[in-house]
Amino acid sequence: MQVRTFVQENFLYMHSNFHLADDDRLLDKGVIDSMSIVEMISFVEREFGVHAMEEEISDANFGSLAGIARFVTEKQSALAA
Amino acid sequence: MCGIAGIVRRHPTGVSVESLGKMAASIRHRGPDGYGFYVGQRVGFAHVRLSIVDIAGGAQPLTNEDGQVVVTYNGEIYNHPELRRELEERGHVFRTRCDTEVLVHGYEEWGVNLLDRLNGQFAFAIYDRNTDTVLIARDRFGVRPLFYAQRKGAFYFGSEIKAILACGEVEASLDRRGIDETFTFWAPRPPRTAFAGIASLEPGTYGILKDGALWLRRYYELDYPEAGEEPADVIEQLDELMLRSVGMRMRADVAVGAYVSGGLDSSITASLAASASPQTLRSFSIAFDDPRFDESDFQREIAGNVGSIHAVAAITHDSIAATFPDVLWHTETPLVRTAPVPMYHLAKLTKDSGIKVVLTGEGADELFLGYDLFKEVSVRRFCLRQPASLGRQRLLDRLYPELMSQGRGGEFWRRFFLEAGSPSDPLFSHLPRFMLSARAREFYAPEFKSGLGEIDVLGELRASLPARYFGWSSLNQAAYLEMTTLLSPYLLSSQGDRMAMAHGVEGRFPFLDHRLFEFAAALPTGSRLRGLREKEILRRWASRILPPRIKQRRKQPYRAPDSPSFFGPNAPEWVGDHLTADSLRRVGVFSPASVDGLVRRCRSGLATGFRENQAIIGVLSTQLLHHQFIERIATHAPLPVRGASVMLSETAPAFT
Repeated sequence: MQVRTFVQENFLYMHSNFHLADDDRLLDKGVIDSMSIVEMISFVEREFGVHAMEEEISDANFGSLAGIARFVTEKQSALAA
Repeated sequence: MCGIAGIVRRHPTGVSVESLGKMAASIRHRGPDGYGFYVGQRVGFAHVRLSIVDIAGGAQPLTNEDGQVVVTYNGEIYNHPELRRELEERGHVFRTRCDTEVLVHGYEEWGVNLLDRLNGQFAFAIYDRNTDTVLIARDRFGVRPLFYAQRKGAFYFGSEIKAILACGEVEASLDRRGIDETFTFWAPRPPRTAFAGIASLEPGTYGILKDGALWLRRYYELDYPEAGEEPADVIEQLDELMLRSVGMRMRADVAVGAYVSGGLDSSITASLAASASPQTLRSFSIAFDDPRFDESDFQREIAGNVGSIHAVAAITHDSIAATFPDVLWHTETPLVRTAPVPMYHLAKLTKDSGIKVVLTGEGADELFLGYDLFKEVSVRRFCLRQPASLGRQRLLDRLYPELMSQGRGGEFWRRFFLEAGSPSDPLFSHLPRFMLSARAREFYAPEFKSGLGEIDVLGELRASLPARYFGWSSLNQAAYLEMTTLLSPYLLSSQGDRMAMAHGVEGRFPFLDHRLFEFAAALPTGSRLRGLREKEILRRWASRILPPRIKQRRKQPYRAPDSPSFFGPNAPEWVGDHLTADSLRRVGVFSPASVDGLVRRCRSGLATGFRENQAIIGVLSTQLLHHQFIERIATHAPLPVRGASVMLSETAPAFT
């Protein structure tokens, strides 16, 4: 939910009626571009206390809201373990 | 270098000298050294002069011996001494030493075929009273501007749009499609401009106006007849072309200076200019207080190397914001970057230093494949041949080390480039940039967007490509797109002619000599971009004149601070005024709600990406353009006849 709010406030504020499903690909839907990827990764790291290695910055982990949620959960679980 | 304007009526109802005087007054900055008029029943010409060649005898408009051919001209014909000799051998009698006179005699001798013989940067109009026709023409690459409009059977032209508006017979309104094209290509695609019903004469094109009809024809086409191998004497050929091009561009009756960016291209032109200059070269640079944009260190090294007297225009965020409205008055088109602003300051410094003419390195990146975009297209194609190869994809990281130095890219970032269009798309090379620039369109007001209809600006560009384009290599296709969509409409205009001429400074571009272009276009692309090493042959050749550190330096894109310039503690009042909901609604291009969100992010320092930086500069510049040209166009008192250096009339042509 925090990620969705972040995406809406920062990347979708110019679209009043934009529907973004959890599995929508952010790149395909034009939500983010090459530069805003950096901004989003920084937000995820800051907000959830995780660190994304370069090889983890992938379409699977950051390509959709669902992917980000899964990535954060897995990283937090790993940290807790 | 000068400014021109004129009116051509369908019928002999007269052209008032007052109208011409207003047109001339509006572009007086282009020619502060004098002005003149030709006034007839059907045709009137105005001219404002920046005197560079034949200071005493070069006033315009100028006629041939019997007054039947009249010219008003802006620019330089570099090969005028050679053409003059040829024309004199054919019996033409010259009254001045000025290159202008070559046009009238050359036109008499060769008609429009004169254009093929000119080596220069020019825009002019010739009135042939014998045939009652007017010829307008523009140089091959679009260095010098020429705009025109047709209303109720009359034809209006000018070096700048404001000259056409100043006559009082052409109304100003923004062209939706011109605005929209800016937010894909960075400038309207010629002939379109940001103003409805006002066109830009395309580079390498002439028009003949007869009986109220304008016939346009291209006299020069870009071509890339790529050879399989370099000629054995390629370095000698390049050497001869470079020396000749610079030598011709040093021809002037005033001192010629040089702009020095710190990169390879302007280092070459400054070095050659210093060698050819009869006095110590004056050089000029831009320095930024923001180290991300600053190249002072390299500029000083070049100035020291060529032994020039060097001066620096120091640019801050505040100076960008303070002069942005003035810059918009001169660009006459919305911007997506602030990069023209430092060029405006640089020209002012140049003028204040007593220099009217400067050589610059413009054009080298287009000819010798210097931009990152050319490497990008090569790498994208290379990756897409084996999409699973991570090693190939890592080459993309090397293209943008600034981003990658933050360690924030990875596979996801690379996807942006790899998924930006199919290699079979003729616009493949430019799709990432076009798509990124078009993100600013997301801020449009719904009414503006719906008013555009179903226009496909990329589809129109694809449809406009010449048949020979499809036979060129992908890099030459990219070079062509760069020349036609960016060099002439943006770099040579908003960043070039307009900023320099705002202060009466003439830029000269040795790399845009058409013979040099033709030489480069015929080289194998590997001679220009070898692997990821740009301008390879130019570096090879330049090793004889430049220090190794400059010769080997990787290209640094010229940029200036965008969003932060307008939202600091000293932001000028006009910024807030133009971003209110009322002001945005009045102009009608951008959505107040979307811009509100954008401004919030800009004020918080969060607008760091291309999309938002381009959007905020686009919003501010569009608002300013509307304010300055639509809401309250400046009126100009006409330049008085009594002060004119030349006053020709149809009934009594007089040479002064």
